[in-house]
Amino acid sequence: MILRTPKRAGEWVDRNKKINFTFEGEAFPAYEGDTISSALWAAGQKVLGRSFKYHRPRGVLSLANHDVNVLVTDGIDTNIRADVVEVKDGMVLTAVNTSGGVKKDKNSYIDSISPLLPVGFYYKAFHTPRRFFPFWENVIRKAAGLGVVNFNYPRILKRKQHSHCDLLVVGAGPTGLTAAYVAAQAGLEVTIVDENSQAGGSLSYNRGGVHSNLTELNDLLSKVASQPNITMHTSTYAAGYYPDHLIPIVSASGITKVRAKTVIVASGAFEQPPVFRYNDLPGVMLGSAAQRLIYRYGVKPFNNGVVVTANDYGYRVAFDLLEAGTKVVALVDLRAGVNGGICAKDLMRRGVKIYAGHCVYEALASSDKSSVRGAVICAYDDKENVALTDNKLTLECDGIAMSAGWAPAGALLYQAGTGMQFDYEVQQFVPSRLPDGIFAAGKVNGIFELDQRIKDGTRAANEALRYLGLQAPQNNIEKHVGISPSHPYPMVPHDKGKNFVDFDEDIQIKDFVNAAKEGFDNIELMKRFTTVGMGPSQGKHSNMNAIRILAKIRELPVEKIGTTTSRPFFHPTPIGHLGGRGFHSHRLTSLHDWHQTNGAVFTDIGAWKRAAYYPATGQTKEEAIQAEAMVVRKSAGIIDGSSFGKIEIHGPDGAEFLERFFTGTYKTQKVGGCRYVMLLDESGVVVDDGIASRLADDLFYLSIGTSNAAAVYREMQRSQQMWQLNLGLVNVTGALGAINIAGPSAREILATLTDLDLSYESFPISSVRESQVAGVEVRLIRVAFVSDMGYELHAPMVQVPHIWNALMEAGQKHGLRPFGSDTQRLLRLEMGNHMPGVDTDGLTNPFEIGADWAIEMSKSYFIGQRSLTILAKRSLRKRLVPFVLAQNFKGEMPMDCNLVVDGRDILGRVTSISYSKFIDRCIGFAYVTPDKNEVGSEFQIRTDNGSLVTATVVKTPFLKNQKGA
Amino acid sequence: MQQFDIKKIAPISPIAHAQSNGTVKWDVVNGMKIAVEFASADIEQARKKVLGVTDVSCFERYGVKGPQASQYLADREIAIPANPNAWTLCDQKTLVLRLGSSEFLIEDQLGGLACKKLAGDTMRVAGVYKVPRADAAFILSGSEVLNLFSELCSLDLREKSLSAKDVIMTQVAGISATVLRQTIGGEQVYRVWCDGTYGPYMWDVLLEIAVELGGGAVGLARYQN
Repeated sequence: MILRTPKRAGEWVDRNKKINFTFEGEAFPAYEGDTISSALWAAGQKVLGRSFKYHRPRGVLSLANHDVNVLVTDGIDTNIRADVVEVKDGMVLTAVNTSGGVKKDKNSYIDSISPLLPVGFYYKAFHTPRRFFPFWENVIRKAAGLGVVNFNYPRILKRKQHSHCDLLVVGAGPTGLTAAYVAAQAGLEVTIVDENSQAGGSLSYNRGGVHSNLTELNDLLSKVASQPNITMHTSTYAAGYYPDHLIPIVSASGITKVRAKTVIVASGAFEQPPVFRYNDLPGVMLGSAAQRLIYRYGVKPFNNGVVVTANDYGYRVAFDLLEAGTKVVALVDLRAGVNGGICAKDLMRRGVKIYAGHCVYEALASSDKSSVRGAVICAYDDKENVALTDNKLTLECDGIAMSAGWAPAGALLYQAGTGMQFDYEVQQFVPSRLPDGIFAAGKVNGIFELDQRIKDGTRAANEALRYLGLQAPQNNIEKHVGISPSHPYPMVPHDKGKNFVDFDEDIQIKDFVNAAKEGFDNIELMKRFTTVGMGPSQGKHSNMNAIRILAKIRELPVEKIGTTTSRPFFHPTPIGHLGGRGFHSHRLTSLHDWHQTNGAVFTDIGAWKRAAYYPATGQTKEEAIQAEAMVVRKSAGIIDGSSFGKIEIHGPDGAEFLERFFTGTYKTQKVGGCRYVMLLDESGVVVDDGIASRLADDLFYLSIGTSNAAAVYREMQRSQQMWQLNLGLVNVTGALGAINIAGPSAREILATLTDLDLSYESFPISSVRESQVAGVEVRLIRVAFVSDMGYELHAPMVQVPHIWNALMEAGQKHGLRPFGSDTQRLLRLEMGNHMPGVDTDGLTNPFEIGADWAIEMSKSYFIGQRSLTILAKRSLRKRLVPFVLAQNFKGEMPMDCNLVVDGRDILGRVTSISYSKFIDRCIGFAYVTPDKNEVGSEFQIRTDNGSLVTATVVKTPFLKNQKGA
Repeated sequence: MQQFDIKKIAPISPIAHAQSNGTVKWDVVNGMKIAVEFASADIEQARKKVLGVTDVSCFERYGVKGPQASQYLADREIAIPANPNAWTLCDQKTLVLRLGSSEFLIEDQLGGLACKKLAGDTMRVAGVYKVPRADAAFILSGSEVLNLFSELCSLDLREKSLSAKDVIMTQVAGISATVLRQTIGGEQVYRVWCDGTYGPYMWDVLLEIAVELGGGAVGLARYQN
């Protein structure tokens, strides 16, 4: 640990707990509390990673998760952010995105050919000649990305929870801690969240060579700890803002969705790197990174350092470096005329040479490019932003600390819809109009002096209290005066480039110039063309400089350029966190166990698990379906229809409601009768269909499809809210189950369990009766969906198994057997019944499926009527027709969704197709052009393998009606 | 025609499908086959204290809605809450939940008789619509119950937000559910009702989290005494 400093108060490492780990095959010591990067840096390891594009060596830049210079893998997890992830004993780590190791990455040659690879080159290359594209695609895919996805990654549950509080404070720096304390004292329930592993923000590292900040921090933390109504979450970041103050906070263990009554954003600011040639060398780091190394981890950033600054903060950094034992070779200040300041004089007294009005023109790399060996400095024209290279000077050093300014950590504010304006006093965007219940404080609010930040925290807390209707004093905050904490343009042009703006994507100043030349001179376009801010750092260290550069190029003020808004989650979040536990809600009928016991294969239909078919041992799906269908045609089958939507409409206005809601007429429907219902949307598209059974003058019983039941009921409720008719809607889908017994023997079987007269005369098709079946009160509906001899039995869900068992027993001698929903689809096809959602899509109107008969246009109103009036005047564009393939067809079987074609023209598509063993023919439905509508018309279906199959339009049903049905 | 005595055929709890793994002691309560014991009394008592999940789908229930529903219940001496989204206890043994201005769910606790009495009245009354109930119903107990809800429900169910007589209709584990807080045997518990067809799913979810948090399944027997 060659750069480890003596122990000092407030550090985050525990020197009593030594641990060991390996990086790139080499053993390293560390202390508990070290991050991976701090431990490596303490051991003198400078090259910690390789850049994404040019594979340039990289070291510490921010040490704060504001860059991704150092991403490592432990073989299981990838892209571990080494700057902030605590190192653990026994870790075996390697850098990502290298070939042959981080020190001797074979891909580092790309850096030498970088002039050939400017931003956007891949938009212009590789696409021609086309035959080479697969090759290039393969190359690019391999080059893209950083770590390697581990497809064997263990499934580790990350809980997604909800929590509630009066006030959420984002950021546990001095501002946030103060705000939390003030609000908690007033009785609010406060949650405070901070991405760092310990609270304190800059108070924990920005000391300027003295220790008063540490005392202040400890006092503040004690106050916060004294408030039981404050909940502190560290190592947790607020990832986004959603309406009504819903903010997901992310920690290693999962996501908590915090619903707060009010929010204070005290998220601080990201330090921005000045831009000069080779500002990315290992050893060149942000001033705040150097401070973090010193005070949090007890690590000296370098031995002989240069500080380059463009604000007063750099002077504090210089004092901290001296405190750590670093020899500060020089302080280079872009601003002219600052030698007279107190800090400058103090530094000079301690032997630090000040170069005001100078810049670092370039950092000099060691022979292996793995570290800094010096800095070339020269005079800087602060007005024109050019380096005056006539009198360059080389300073020998092994590190450079940079302090040029800040960008507000304002992602949450932007997402919440905050209006931001550029404040020239602080050279920063600050909130000008905050949404209700959201407050900003501290650096993100453009307040930089510590005492003012603390006051700003109090001010924000008081505003939050008043927002919640509590009394709180008014506070005024002094606006920043004097020299801005951020330099307006800390860029040093260099003919040879490699002056990096975005370290994630290796983007240099010239890339912006080129983008602008090509016309991408709007911030949104430039972002996408250059990819600035699109790397894992999401622009934290680069967006502000990009905006300044674009403003300079376009000769516009910064505020005219605008900013981009990071969408939530603004910080990359693992998929496992987003997935959480994974809830897959599903409904089971009361017969589910029976189906399972009897070998059913289940399918998901809507929210339901339905028995699709029951294969016998060795039977294929197709064989099982044909066998089940054959039994229904020759004897009888039984299906669990409990998943059908079932809705009761009570009240005197029930018929009126149905007439408005559906296309047909119901006022004239007799008690005991059933009628078809078809639901359209307002644009005349078919949504669903079903049967309305009239059980009493003031009671209709509606049975509809499984998939749409919930949506249809919701729409019925919505309509009733508007129409306010005298009725009540009762959704009995879950309370009542249903069984359909169908086939020529159905009547005979059912007759053994009920004393209801089942004869055709007494109980014809499309009628409903209420009676007992197997001792249970049942609604019996005579339906002809899968067979012209069929009965639906609707009964309390819990009693359905009893009825089912009774039917199975009664039907034993008839060979009664169950059939599943897949078989049902074949059976209804044989009957010539189309199904909404299968034979229709989101654009199908009733004329296209030949459902004109189900529409009563003379009614004063029904949903979709107006659209149908318009559609009726237009000629049809497609028509659903029943078809058969040739007798004994032996070619490739067409499938659902295969196209109906005429040469290269698409005429339509197949919606349902199946072989029917009973009919011994391939039958189906397809959309064709209206000229192919006539019986006997032929059309061609193109199969998956490209062959054409001729189909012939026929009439439905595909089979003959049974006698006496 | 074959004859059946339907009273002798006990339907099974809608949740039973999810409970059939492991050793479960079943009994018929209120005419429904229900899990009364999953483990020894000691183990179940311990679970109850941390996070117990109990199937109480067998409690008798009666649903009614319509503009005359309030009057209908009042005429039958059922105490009803004055406001929607509230509940009250009728005769100490019947929960009366007012789900909306004109919709009610009534549930007899063990020993309650109101629902049976109401169900026996089959006369149709104008403006009163009976709502058949086939709920999966749960009691959730223990110190970790709010921790469980924090993963399943976006609403704040702590005492400061969900007052003692509040009923909320919300989403629990992604499905519609009714929730309230109740005191049973001096112990504060949460009650959850959902459509019975979602019962096995809900049980699986509740139990998975309960076990993670140190609780588990608790049989109805723990509440029968």
